[in-house]
Amino acid sequence: MTFAIFLLFALMAVFSAVMVITRKNAMHSVLYLAFTVLSVAGVFFTLQAEYLGAIQILVYGGGIVVLYIFVIIIVNLDEVVPGRRKLMPKVFIFAWPALLALQVGFLFLLNRPVPREGPEGGLEFRAMAEMLFTSYALPFEIASVLLLAVLIGAVLVAKRRLSRGSD
Amino acid sequence: MVPINAVFALGIALFFLGLFGVLLRKNLVVMLMSLELVLNGINVILAGLGFHLRSPRGSIFAIFVVLMAVAEAAVGFALILSYFRRKKTYDIDKLNELKG
Repeated sequence: MTFAIFLLFALMAVFSAVMVITRKNAMHSVLYLAFTVLSVAGVFFTLQAEYLGAIQILVYGGGIVVLYIFVIIIVNLDEVVPGRRKLMPKVFIFAWPALLALQVGFLFLLNRPVPREGPEGGLEFRAMAEMLFTSYALPFEIASVLLLAVLIGAVLVAKRRLSRGSD
Repeated sequence: MVPINAVFALGIALFFLGLFGVLLRKNLVVMLMSLELVLNGINVILAGLGFHLRSPRGSIFAIFVVLMAVAEAAVGFALILSYFRRKKTYDIDKLNELKG
């Protein structure tokens, strides 16, 4: 039963991911991206990663997708000029991911799957929180510094330069 | 129960769809969206491994990946806005001043 729900969400995610990279209109792509993000959140719930699913819905569905929509509204959508690519870049674009996928597939075929560990049942939410704030406390703090740097850097890069007057 | 191979298949499919999107599309905004697809594929694999191995580390690493995705999206949008303000386009074929 859980596997059926997983398959449903996985098919929805893959379908809308294909639609994201094939739609010409960027706004359609954003809406399909929101669909993908919510489907992946459903996949997280079937994998019993409830906190991750909630984070996915809040941060991706509520934050990043809205940010994309704002950016598409700000930059004008009308002037997309699809130029043609030459042959060598085309070959490279298709051959490199195909070779990489082939390598990953061979790795999976050659290696045995890892055996399951521990008892059945849900993951301990408490265990995750304790591990996050003890073993991974330093990366957590570094991540907060990263977010502060991103906040300042994004404002600095995106603001208009009024003093120079060159634009 | 969800078999681990199905989780791997979904994660790899999302990863390579995102990779193709980054390489194929010429719209900067859609390229950033494809990057989000790549990071989502990685997150699916991390969550599946955490579920499979009964370890909370999968979720913790995935949370850090989400944090990094947020940082990347914010800086990327700032760069796109700055570039658009200067050039009035977001076609990556015009982004060739350093070509030499």
